[in-house]
This record gives sequence, C-alpha cells and structure tokens, in this order.
Amino acid sequence: MLKLFLWLRYLRKRRIVFLSIAAVALSVSLLMVIASGFTGFIKAYEQIAVDFVGDIVLQPPRKFPNYPVLLDRLEQLGAVEAAEATLSGQGVLYLGKGNVRAVHIQGIDLARAAKVTAFKSSLLKQKSSPNDPSFKSQDSRLQTQESRLQTPESRVLCPESCVLCPGGFVGIAVVREPDEKTDEYDFEAAEEIIGKPVVLTTGSVIEQKDSASPPGETQFRRRTLQFTVADIIFTGFYQVDKNYIFLPIEQLQKTLYPEQEPVAEMIQIKLSLGADVESAQAQIRGVWEGFVDDRLGGDRYLKEFVDIETAVEMQSQYVEEIRKQMGLLLLIIGVVSASVVVLVSCIFYMIVTTKRKDIAIIKSCGTASGPVAWIFVGFGGCVGIIGSGIGVVLGCVITENVNGIERWISVVSGLKLWKSSVYMFSRIPNEVNWFWVLPIVACAIAAAAIGALIPAIVAARTNPVEILRYE
Amino acid sequence: MYKLVLATRYLLKRRITYFAVLAVALCVFIVVVVMTVMAGLVGDFKQKNHDFTGDCVVASESLVGFPYYEDYVKKLEASKVVEAVSEVIRSYGLLSPQGKDVTRGVEIMGLDPARHSRATGFGNTLHHRRNDILKAFVPSYDPNLPGCVLGIDLALERDSNGRYAYDSSPSRIGFPISCFPLTARGALAGAGTALANTKTFYYSDHSHSGLARVDDSIIYLPFAEAQALCGMGGETKRINAIHIKFKPDVKLTTGCEEARRLWSICKSEKANESQAYLLDTVTVQDWKLYRRELIAAMEKEQMIMGVMFGFVGIVTVFIVLVVFYMLISHKSKDIGVLRSIGVSGFDIIELFAGFALMVGLAGSCLGVLGGWQFLLRINSIERWLFQHFGFQVWDRTMFAIGDIPSEISPRVLTVIVLLAIAACLIGALVPSWQAARLKPVETLQVNQL
Repeated sequence: MLKLFLWLRYLRKRRIVFLSIAAVALSVSLLMVIASGFTGFIKAYEQIAVDFVGDIVLQPPRKFPNYPVLLDRLEQLGAVEAAEATLSGQGVLYLGKGNVRAVHIQGIDLARAAKVTAFKSSLLKQKSSPNDPSFKSQDSRLQTQESRLQTPESRVLCPESCVLCPGGFVGIAVVREPDEKTDEYDFEAAEEIIGKPVVLTTGSVIEQKDSASPPGETQFRRRTLQFTVADIIFTGFYQVDKNYIFLPIEQLQKTLYPEQEPVAEMIQIKLSLGADVESAQAQIRGVWEGFVDDRLGGDRYLKEFVDIETAVEMQSQYVEEIRKQMGLLLLIIGVVSASVVVLVSCIFYMIVTTKRKDIAIIKSCGTASGPVAWIFVGFGGCVGIIGSGIGVVLGCVITENVNGIERWISVVSGLKLWKSSVYMFSRIPNEVNWFWVLPIVACAIAAAAIGALIPAIVAARTNPVEILRYE
Repeated sequence: MYKLVLATRYLLKRRITYFAVLAVALCVFIVVVVMTVMAGLVGDFKQKNHDFTGDCVVASESLVGFPYYEDYVKKLEASKVVEAVSEVIRSYGLLSPQGKDVTRGVEIMGLDPARHSRATGFGNTLHHRRNDILKAFVPSYDPNLPGCVLGIDLALERDSNGRYAYDSSPSRIGFPISCFPLTARGALAGAGTALANTKTFYYSDHSHSGLARVDDSIIYLPFAEAQALCGMGGETKRINAIHIKFKPDVKLTTGCEEARRLWSICKSEKANESQAYLLDTVTVQDWKLYRRELIAAMEKEQMIMGVMFGFVGIVTVFIVLVVFYMLISHKSKDIGVLRSIGVSGFDIIELFAGFALMVGLAGSCLGVLGGWQFLLRINSIERWLFQHFGFQVWDRTMFAIGDIPSEISPRVLTVIVLLAIAACLIGALVPSWQAARLKPVETLQVNQL
C-alpha cells in the first residue's frame, strides 16, 4: 500500500518521470511498428504463394505426360482436396499499337485452378460472378465479339500459321502500369482491353527429327497465337500482376508441343482441411513414385529429383532474408533504445537524491533495505508498464493506419513512400503482430526496472541517522 | 574564460555527465555505421545508374521509337557541350539458349559498342572485350558469327560470396532471339507473314553493370541487327533512345538545356515529315530523372531510416535534459554566486550551452571513432560471421551487392555530428533557461547553505 502511495505521489509530483514514460513509449511503438511491418510483409508474401500455387507443389526435373492419371490418383488421397497441372513458358505479348511486353505464360486448367488456388478472387470481372470462372468473357456483348474473333476467318492480327486461342487472362500491370504518383491502378482503363485480341509469341525447344540433323540436336521453334483477353488479373502482388498471362493448359500444350501428347510441368495441390502437411508430403511422394513406375517407365531421375514442397517452403530463402533484415533493424533500433536504461537511471537517481528524507523516515519506521529498494525497482517497472502500454496503443494506431498515414504524407508532401513496383504489394501490410509485441513489452519493462536498480541500491543504503540529523 | 573553465570542470568532475556522453556516443556510433552503409549503397547504386545511362537521355517511351534522329545526332556531335552520343534500340524479345529447354523474355538493347562506351560506362562492364570494345559483338571462337553480349546474370552463376564463376573465354552458345517488328504506326510489321523476327546470335561477352535488373534481363545486340530485328530499319530508320555524355566541365543542367534546345530545333525542322507525330513522344531527361523510379526508392529508404533514427534520437535528447536538470539542481549555489557577482542570465545560458556543446562533441568523437573502427573491420567481421555461423548481412546469391560499403562520407559525418550537438543543445535548453532564472537571493539564503 505504501509502495503504491509513493509511486502515485512520485508520478504526480515528479513530472520528469513522464520523460522516461515517453521514451519507453516511443521505443516500444517504433519497435512494434517495425516488427509488425516486416512480419506482415512476410505473412502476405507467404499467403500470396499459397493463393497462387496452392498448399503443396510437386515439381519434377522435366515435363511429363499422362498427368491426368496422376491428378486422379492424388485426389484419391484423403489429405488432398484438389490438384491441378500447370505448364509455363515465356513470351512476348503484342497488346496494341507500339505496346509490346515480355510476359510469363502460365497454362492452367481453370476449373481445377479455382479449387486449388484463390484464382477466381483475383479476376476483376468474374470474381463477383456466381458462375465458375471461364476463359470466355461473361459479358454477353463481349462473348459475341469474342466468338467472332475466334473463327479462322476472322484472324485480326495473325496470319494462317498463327494459332487461335479462345481466351486468356492478362495481369493488370501488363496492360497498364499503376499511376506514378498515387500508385493506384486505373481499373476502368485496364478493363477496356477485355474482349480485344492480342498476339503472343512464344516457343519451345524441340528435338530435330530430320535425317540431316545429328541425333539429340535441339532447335528453338517459335510459335505465335492470338487470343482474346477474357479478364484482367489483379492479385495485388506486383510480380504476378506485371509479368503473368494465363491461358488454357490444353491450348498452351498444343502451341508449344504440337507433336507430343499433353505434358505438364508442375502439379499444384490443395490439402484437405486439417491435413498433416508432412504426412501429406510423404503420401504425395508415394503416389508420384508409383505413377513414375507405372506410367513413366520407372525413370529414376524423375523419382529422385522431384521437389515436393509446401508453398511456404518454396519462399523460404527470400523470407529468411527478410527475417534477417528485420532482426538487424530491430537490433539496431533496440541498441539505441537501450539508452532508456540510462534515462530511467538518471531520473530515478535524481528522485532518490531529492527524496532522501522520505526514504530515511521510511527506514526509521523499521522498513528494511530490501523493501526500500523494491519501492524504486517496482516504480521503474511501473514506468515500463505505463510507457509500454502507451507505446502499444501508439504502435497499434500507427500500424493499423499505416496506409492512411502513407497516403497523407503523399498528399501533403508529394512523396510516395510505398510503391508496389518496389515493395511487391499494392498495400502496406497493416496487421499488428502480437507475437512480437510481448517480447518487446517485456524488454521495455525489464529495461526500465534495470535502470531503476542503481538508484534503488543507493536508496536502500541510505542511513536514516545521518539524513535526519538536525544539523 | 570562466565559462570554459566551469564547463570543463562539470564535464570532468560530474560523473553523471558521462551518461550523457555515452548515450550520445552510442547513438552517433549506430547512426554513423548504418548511414555510412546506406549512403554507400545508395551512392554506389546512383553511380552505377549514371554509368549505365550516361549524363542525358533523349528517349521515347513507346517501343515504336522515333525517326529523323540522324540530324539531331549530328547537331549534338557538333555542340560544344557534348562529348559523346550513342543511338540505342530498345525492345523486348524471347531468348532461347541452344541446347537448353528454356526460353525467357528479355530486354533487347541494340547499340554500337564503341559509341556507347564513349557515352556511358558500357565498355567497363565487359569482361572479355574490355580492352577491345570494338570487338564486343565478335565471338572469339568464330569472328564471322553475329555476336551478343549477355547481362552477367543471364550468362553466369553466382556463389554464396557473390562471386561469379568467370569463364576464361566465351563458350560457343547460340541464342535465337525473337521479337515483334513494329511499323511506325505501332502495328505488327509482319502481319500476314511470320509476325515475329527471329535471328540467332552467339555469346561473345557478358556485361556486369552491377544493377540487378539490368544484368538479369538485358541482352545487348549490334545496333544495325537490332534495328532490323525490331522493324526499325528500312527507308526511315527509327531508334528508341539517344544516350549523351557531356564534356567534363559542363554542368548537367546546362548540358540538358542545350540537348533540349537542339531537340526542339530538330523537331520544328521535321514538323512536316510523314512520321513527325512520333517526335511528340520524345523526352529529354538527365540520368537522375530517367532512372528516378529506381533511385527514388533507395533514397526513400535512406530517408525513412533517418527518420527512424530521429525518433530514437529523442531519447538521447531526454537523457541530456535529465542530466543537465540534475546538474543544475546540484549547482544552484554556483549559479547563485555567479549571478551575485553580476553574471547575466544570458551568460548562464551560454555557460550551459557550452557545456552541452562539449558533451555533444565528446559523445560524437567517441561515437565517430567507434563507428570508424567498426566500419574498417565490417567486411572482415561479416566474413568471420559467415565462416563460423553462416551469417551474412545480405545473401550474396540474392542481392547484387559486393563488399559492405565502409567509406565514411565527410558530408554524412558532418550532418550526424551537427545533429548530435543540436540534440545536446536542445536537451540542455530547458534546464539552462531554468538556471538563468534562478535568483541569487533565494539560492544563497542561509537555510539553503
């Protein structure tokens, strides 16, 4: 009771204590914002990987045929909810007059992709439609236009050798870059391309089959196809929005490998709710090995060098790097913030020296040195708790409103701090990470208590006889 | 004189001031190390961008490019401010190394190696042909083949220390490159036929600009070949950009003004030509403006870091404030004596401001000294950490960073020291003001003695 009384009194009477509270609050909020920002970024990065490729990815060292059999076998596993095959390539896309972009082409089975990934939610037009996503536009006016474009007679841009494809999706930043000042996309302008034909040049490496070429010699064969833009992809992840186009996998197979049976490059898998990841990975490996034995002639190379990883594991190298940068930044700011110990120490020393008579009276009433020391250590702890509390509130407010603050800075000063082209995401992650808040708060309280330690010892060693002497 | 004596005495005799000095030193140490590394990275990045771009770029953002550049180039070359000029073709293409089952989209840059090396730092980025730039596109294994220079990350692998596995001479690898030739109206030039042009180029050298996005995505081709491949040859030739280097004594703004003036003359001369509408898309920018998106991002990060240190520095201001507050409360009699012999309040403020200056200077010196010693060893410390614990500040397989920058910039150092001293002066302000307002009659009362 006495301690509480004294703490409250010191808080009211010694306003300099508020400086230490402010310092603790400032340090806590800064560390909290940094930790939340970084961990939010990592979480968003890992989540986009799951949204984009599913929970687990099976990637053999080379393309393989008969993949529908593998998909069926995988879906029979209890741990697997759905699986899809993908095929990818690189290409150059002609979007209109003077507008050519290098793009990454992803061949997908749309029905399966909608089950395995969060693909539908990233389609600008079709995400709100109750129907399954389709490579054909859902707009009846555009459908008519598309069907006209998909007849061999109506080759808008292509010559006879060009493949006609029903439709495809294009990343929003492939069509239109975000505004340089606001970093916002002009969705209406981007949607104008929906229903229009574009031309893609891609190609594949094929083995020379003519008698003049030595066996095993390969050659790059260029392929061109025209497709109609059925929808725009907007994931909020710049690398995907900027570089990707999506086509039906069958169409991409026919374009890249017309003489071969359908091949796939990667299998994306969604696990059942509550499935154990490690056990699922083992089961998937078993299915893969069985499939290679049955359908691919037991090729050991395919069996041994297959990667079966979770989407999160695939990003681990980059995520590890971000974590390292976060650790370094927290360490640097943490070391400077450690000056709080010095600050609390100075302030408490001052309180102790000016309140020696109070301390002497307490001691003369029979209080031992230990409890006297605890008055100040406890007060230090209280300062830490109050400062941390304010810091946490401040940190929460800043973190949760970080996008608004960034926008405000941009409006006031014209300085755009966050750009999706630099930091990958369209929005700054704004979720408070409570896992990091707890150790930060604990360290702040400990720092304040440690700072109070030396003054507490000085107070404990006060001799009441000397202090309370009349002369 | 008494101010100096008293300030020195307080600094040496009052141990509590050591706390303030230590807090300032710690803050200065951290800021010197971090800001030196960041300033080094930003400065290095800017220099590499400058080397890559030259001083000024006259360019069209459209891949269609712009025509009638020959007269403008002649005018530039005749200008007193221009040292070198290089015409460049830029487009996108599809690259597929022979013998490998991979294809990838790349950026094509068509240039004349000798002209481009005079206008930019291109020649210094080459490996095999650095001393024979004219032969940059001549493969050493067969001079008759058309050559190409690859961005280093397209050609070589990097180890965990960021070192490339350099080849003694380029291997014979063909790269079929396909791209869309465009008409002056931006339509596909090959409509009705093959649409895309394809030609195989052979690896003659690689270019290491030190810019990750450049080294990972650009393939350099001979100017005429790239012009033909992109459909920019023919009767009215087109290009995408002109890179300009100004003479050493010419200021960037002066040079750019001259380039703009010459451009507007050329533009008005060609106003009645059939493709004059393409000239409206052309801009004349200095290298900083041309690469602003990349440079601004790094500068902003440096600024955010500075702001964060500014916030943390507030704690240092608080410490100085508390230390001075304590000191003054203990030295009220000294102040009373000084005031009683006629020293003004302003002199008292000066005395403590001088003391704050000393604290700031002492702390800054300690911090700078520590920071300097740490920076001298920062790379060897990192190497030791990597050897023993596998820790690197930046994973060199992911980031195009060599050694950690450790060269202290006098400008950065001056700013940090001045800010540290300013923090001390701000911290000392309120206590000094209170000290100046102390009345000797009150502080020197018998019951206070």
